[in-house]
Amino acid sequence: MKRVDCEEVKQGVHEYLHSELHEEELSIITAHLANCDSCEQHYDIEVILNQVIQRSCDEAPAAELADRVMERLRSIQEND
Amino acid sequence: MPEKKSEKIASFEAQALPLMPQLYGAALRWTRNPSDAEDLVQETFAKAFVAWNKYEQGTNLKAWLFRIMTNTHINLYNKKAKDKAKTALDDLEDWQVGQGESVTSRSSRSAEIEAIENMPSVAIKNALDEIPDEFRMVVYYAVVEGLPYQEIADIMETPVGTVMSRLHRGKKLLKTLLQDYAKQEGYDTGKEVEA
Repeated sequence: MKRVDCEEVKQGVHEYLHSELHEEELSIITAHLANCDSCEQHYDIEVILNQVIQRSCDEAPAAELADRVMERLRSIQEND
Repeated sequence: MPEKKSEKIASFEAQALPLMPQLYGAALRWTRNPSDAEDLVQETFAKAFVAWNKYEQGTNLKAWLFRIMTNTHINLYNKKAKDKAKTALDDLEDWQVGQGESVTSRSSRSAEIEAIENMPSVAIKNALDEIPDEFRMVVYYAVVEGLPYQEIADIMETPVGTVMSRLHRGKKLLKTLLQDYAKQEGYDTGKEVEA
């Protein structure tokens, strides 16, 4: 199997986490992570970062917004 | 137009309107405040409704709406001046974008993880709001919406390579801001251990 160094593995963290790698690259990195604490922690930090971003962006719109949108659409339709 | 008026609004309401929570989430990241986000959602839906006969049934409706939102936002806020600043950031070399790569020692990484985990959501949002729009939106679409790079490229009307580099840089900037915040607030990031 092709070898990779830590620099390359760390570079590829987002592509790895967002499923943008080919199967071969994926398994090379997975194998590397299993044997490299430094890279594994680097990946862990990005995973946590993603989790807190998801958590912080979890905001629902006000219920009235749907009504206002529909009102707007009806007025567009009438003037059509 | 073959479609009757009442059918048009009914099919739009049934298909597009349920995507409002996702549109609102993206609008909040574009505008950074709830009242502008509501306006942007409304404008986006209005434009999408007018163009509804151009939407190809069966294709990705959410991506289509996000793309309309990108254009609507750019038109609403006439961001030409800002776009220049953004291009400048795109052109920087990686080493100029900031540390990103953590300076903490290996043993203190778990402290860094813990510090990030314990940060209040408002601090994360403030940090997100501080990075340039185009970087923030790529991070948002990739991390929160889980969209593939190609789809983000279509939504933002940029090449895939730009999506990739903006995601890398956006996350790097974010990490640096959060590390600064952690230091300010006295979270233990383990840095003292090294000093």
